[in-house]
Amino acid sequence: MTDDTGLKSRLAAHARAIARIARWEVTRSAGTLDRRTIILGVIAVLVAGGVALGAASGGVAIDKDLYRVGVASDSPYYDAVEESTVLDPRSVSDPNVELIVSETHVSVTDTPTGMAAYEAFRDAVQTYNERQMLRESNQTAAFPVVVNLQYRERGALVPPGSRVDDGGGSGGSTGGDATGADGGSGSSDSDTDGQAGGTSGSSAASGAAAADDGPIAAPDVGGAGGFLGGDTSGSPASISPPFPFASLVLAFAFLVPMNFVIQAYGSSILNERVNRRGELLLVAPVTPGDIVAGKTVPYLAGMVGLTVAIALAIGGGPVSVAAVVPIGLLFLSATFVGAMFARSFKELTFVTVTISVFLTTYTFVPAIFTNVTPIALISPLTLVVRDLSGTAVSLGDFAFSVGPILLAALVLFLLGTGVYREEDMFTQRPVPLKFLDALDSRISRPRSVATLSALSIPFVFIAELLVIAVLYVLPVDLTIPLVLLAVAVVEELAKSLHVYAAFEKARFARTIRVSLLLGALSGFGFFVGEKFTAIVQLVGLPSLTLGQAAFAPSGIGVVAATGLLLAPLVLHAVTATVTALGATRGRSAYALALVAAIGIHVVYNLQVVSSLG
Amino acid sequence: MITVENLRKAYGDFPAVVGSDFSVESGEVFGIVGPNGAGKTTTLKMLAGLVEPTDGTASVLGFDPEEPEMRRRLGFLPEESPLYEDMTPRSYLRFFADLYDVPREEGTKRTEAVLDRLDLEYRDRRLGDMSKGMKRKVAIARSLVNDPDLLIYDEPASGLDPLTTNVVLEFVRELRDEGKTVVFSAHNLFHVESVCDRVVIMNRGEIIARGTIPEIRAEHGETTYRVYTTVSLSETNHHPATEPEGDQHVAVVDEMADVEAIREAAEAAGGSVADIRTDEPSLEDIFLQLAREAPTTSAAEGGRGQS
Repeated sequence: MTDDTGLKSRLAAHARAIARIARWEVTRSAGTLDRRTIILGVIAVLVAGGVALGAASGGVAIDKDLYRVGVASDSPYYDAVEESTVLDPRSVSDPNVELIVSETHVSVTDTPTGMAAYEAFRDAVQTYNERQMLRESNQTAAFPVVVNLQYRERGALVPPGSRVDDGGGSGGSTGGDATGADGGSGSSDSDTDGQAGGTSGSSAASGAAAADDGPIAAPDVGGAGGFLGGDTSGSPASISPPFPFASLVLAFAFLVPMNFVIQAYGSSILNERVNRRGELLLVAPVTPGDIVAGKTVPYLAGMVGLTVAIALAIGGGPVSVAAVVPIGLLFLSATFVGAMFARSFKELTFVTVTISVFLTTYTFVPAIFTNVTPIALISPLTLVVRDLSGTAVSLGDFAFSVGPILLAALVLFLLGTGVYREEDMFTQRPVPLKFLDALDSRISRPRSVATLSALSIPFVFIAELLVIAVLYVLPVDLTIPLVLLAVAVVEELAKSLHVYAAFEKARFARTIRVSLLLGALSGFGFFVGEKFTAIVQLVGLPSLTLGQAAFAPSGIGVVAATGLLLAPLVLHAVTATVTALGATRGRSAYALALVAAIGIHVVYNLQVVSSLG
Repeated sequence: MITVENLRKAYGDFPAVVGSDFSVESGEVFGIVGPNGAGKTTTLKMLAGLVEPTDGTASVLGFDPEEPEMRRRLGFLPEESPLYEDMTPRSYLRFFADLYDVPREEGTKRTEAVLDRLDLEYRDRRLGDMSKGMKRKVAIARSLVNDPDLLIYDEPASGLDPLTTNVVLEFVRELRDEGKTVVFSAHNLFHVESVCDRVVIMNRGEIIARGTIPEIRAEHGETTYRVYTTVSLSETNHHPATEPEGDQHVAVVDEMADVEAIREAAEAAGGSVADIRTDEPSLEDIFLQLAREAPTTSAAEGGRGQS
């Protein structure tokens, strides 16, 4: 009871300190904003809002009324033309039209524009017809299912983990067609697909379903050619399965304010380090954690507020907000660490721009493939796209997508807070050395090595998923060895860098006995942490060949590896010990040991992959 | 109030503080003196809980220096005045009062009182627009806003003009008179000599002398005597000889026996001793002497350490 009271009062004291610092941060930051900064901020908000509202109100119609079509108002085609955003219905007598539609035939001007207008007209009519069919009470009659089985040789340029979706086979195929072409795999969602008008909803489902079966649906641009070529009018609407264009643009609106918020946040953190301003906070009766939390809360609250506002404006639900907030947290945590490492505002600018570009790319690019491959789920923005396009998001998808991002953000805050102390804040050491300082700051005893190895898992996970996302388009013969090598590099670095940092900071005696102990602990911690990556299975990623290459060799529960449960533990302990032995003898020896450990890891991975067949 | 045992701090291979032992009594002004790089600032920061010792222990107000409760009763003034320049003295002090859990009304009262006491007029002007002396006063005011029992001031008069320096030193004396304990460092030994009850002299991370100023003077300084005579003794065989100074003659000697010898010689020459003055060495003289005598192997030159 007394302990509870003590804990409660300590927590209350921390909360009060955080609230005071947060309040001070808000009032002080408001005082530092000059007119130019305010104008830039307002412009940023207006741009984000404009994009969001523009997209929300009928989509981003960059191709609105692109082609002029002469069509009589009593023509049966008039409604199809009129409803299309791309086509602009005009009088038949208008001389400036690209296309004239009569009762019996269509006249096209013999120009590329005319041909594109014709394609757009065909798409519009087809879409219109499908919409009409959807209104039919007998959907089975409206959409009879036809299954064509075609046995085709696997193309040399297409990895086994992916395939070109030959969709409906007809030009300008829609979601309904694509789902049909996927056969039974996506049938359970076919009704939903159809109701979604054959746009993104169906594709998401079919993409995920395709992943369950092994192959991944590649984006199929145009009618029949797919991503590797084909017929396209250049309109986003003609991409099949269609990119969730409007949803993507809307989702991007969430990212815009973050890039501005981190500029202010990074400056605030670095400002504490310039001229030792933060020294007086450090000597106050608050902890570094209180200070960091107090300084971060206002920016996080601002991000959450903007996220909610944008979600309300564009029709996003709680899923969108819950998916975007961890991205914001990652932006802030990466900026925090960058600002703790940067030696000047010039360096900070470089850091924040790098963070902006990398994280925006990391979150946005995978979301483009929302309807194509489950790998897209490495970005929480994919959840937003799904939410906006009305596709359900399972808890597993959510955890897979958001979990690593959230954990990575928390670990970054943990590392940065470790160097939020007088001895590290005000020194002008190079960034790599500060990184080692940050790692070392979290090591107080041997078992801390195991903890840090386990905490590296979110970064390892993200890095490995990123490798898969980047490499999956290459031929599989090339991809798998590259993935195996990349995985080995990432994991060996994750297991050894903090051990090296601890030896460099003279945290432990440089003896063989100590290095054996630390190596074993690091390997064990990594093994335990790695088990959390079993979440991968929730979305079936390991069923992909590349997923197996990346995750199976480390033993995350793939059936073939069950009998070798301890093998990954032995691997991690052995390689971590090799690098720990090298780390005791300085940088060069560590580098050599790291190469040796990577070599051992790659050989192990190859053995496991070959044993899996 | 403060007990320090074998306190050490090394930055990598550089030993900034090499095994300090000292204690500070309640209500005294305790000085840590030494040249730049002597380890003064590092010692003060270890006492304030800002820097973690490599070895040894320090008890401050009965707490480990990293304990928040100790910090609540501590007023720390760093060598620089790292203020938030976009704030005003008033908002700056109120924020720190708030941070130290001082009730709002009490915080406002203390803020105004301490600004009155330091005669700071421009309370709503941006700190960035203030002179160095005014900023230093604000920094000192901040160290008092939580009504601390212990004040640790690092070079409080560093870089200030003589007038402001006197204000600061006088203020330190007032704090002592109020019963506060003050530990402060300086490399200007005159400042230390004028306000400190006890001092330690540091050089290259080591304490090379300690005690009250008279104790240190007695232990390490040499008192000299200037003996003024009415006659010249330079033509006698008596040593040391006198030098003319105005209408008198003066000899400088270390021992009272020499003074007596000069008196006898002056009387023998038909004159007398007109005056005897005692020259006591300043702390600076003692420090320079000790620094010359100190071994140079204890702490390497340069490195990352603070003064």
